[in-house]
Amino acid sequence: MSCERYDDLIDDYVDGTRAADRPGDARLAAFESHLAGCARCQALVADFTSIREAASALDEHVPPTRLWAQIAGALEEKPRAFSVWIPLAVAASLALVLAGSAWLALRQSPTGDAAQQVTATPDETSVPPAEAQYEQAIAGLQQLADERNAVLDPATRAVLQRNLAAIDRAIDESRAALADEPSSAVAQDSLLDALDTKVALLQDTVALAAEDVNQ
Amino acid sequence: MFRSVPFAAGDEQRGSHAFPSNHPADVRTADLELAARCRAGDADAFEELYRLHARRLYSLAVRMIGSADEAEDVLQEVFLQAHRKLAGFRGESTLGTWLYRLTMNHCLDHLRGRQAKISRATASLDEDGAAEPVAPAPVVPSAISRMDLERAIELLPAGSKAAFLLHDVEGFEHREIAEILGISEGTSKSQVHKARMKLRVLLSR
Repeated sequence: MSCERYDDLIDDYVDGTRAADRPGDARLAAFESHLAGCARCQALVADFTSIREAASALDEHVPPTRLWAQIAGALEEKPRAFSVWIPLAVAASLALVLAGSAWLALRQSPTGDAAQQVTATPDETSVPPAEAQYEQAIAGLQQLADERNAVLDPATRAVLQRNLAAIDRAIDESRAALADEPSSAVAQDSLLDALDTKVALLQDTVALAAEDVNQ
Repeated sequence: MFRSVPFAAGDEQRGSHAFPSNHPADVRTADLELAARCRAGDADAFEELYRLHARRLYSLAVRMIGSADEAEDVLQEVFLQAHRKLAGFRGESTLGTWLYRLTMNHCLDHLRGRQAKISRATASLDEDGAAEPVAPAPVVPSAISRMDLERAIELLPAGSKAAFLLHDVEGFEHREIAEILGISEGTSKSQVHKARMKLRVLLSR
């Protein structure tokens, strides 16, 4: 007797779905009647149940303690998010290198970022959600930065403006590349990296201004 | 400054508060608060995020990749990327789901880098699975040894391994797996079924 037609229900049954809990599900009820007299399906249910129970009881692997130390160390080398004060020279270099890297990656990388390929759903008619989120964050931070950067000394303001202009160029170039190839995960990632860099620089601008006010 | 804080006992349990199947409103509120603290530069908050999720993500990576050393490298990349991308986290999914998605993407990338080796393993499995008749009597031992199961999982193709680990090991529902892997619920169910069928063959030998 062909009972492969019930294969999808075998998994549901093993996962705990029962006809008694779904009064209107005639197919499930038919499967349970079939199961009572089918050795093949009974064998599958028994084996899948054993596998499921054993899988849910597997031990966790514990990460070595050095892993957090490595992550924390790497983050401390990236001062922007965890330090209130960033020397301007470092901020400028970081911003320009990141913006340049994003553009170089866009130009040179032969393959897309598979992480983005899995989740990216390009839509030519609307702004992608991640980009919209960045733009929202940038708009808020830009307003704060505009309100507060008057307290910074003119030389500092000039450096920040130059860096922002460089990042804006990188954003424009990434957007142009994305317009040419809307499905390119690399172009998408480059744009998000450039937007991320702008968020970071605006955050730094606001933090610098706050420090100057408090001094 | 980052402190070195060991994992607290009971920090992470399957089906715990950190995941969307349980108390979704509380989880999302806590997630948004934690993400906001991380974005504001609170170093302790990012360490809290790590301690909440690292064990489960590490376990997943070890099983996906089949190597503790390589899983360590992958998890480091995951958390550095998470730190970089937290600015874009707005709570549409939970932090747990979001981190699982990052981890799975990194693991799948890593496996693609070892494509030749994996292809050999999956090709032989696919052939064996297709040719294997469905035995009428139970063939899997009722008490499966942990080592046998770990070894068998290692031989699964990447797609069905990912769905199986998330469903049968981590306890996610198919709708959550669909979100993490960027697939439909039907595909998630189908991949779990394929994984169980292959494991059945492997464990009966």
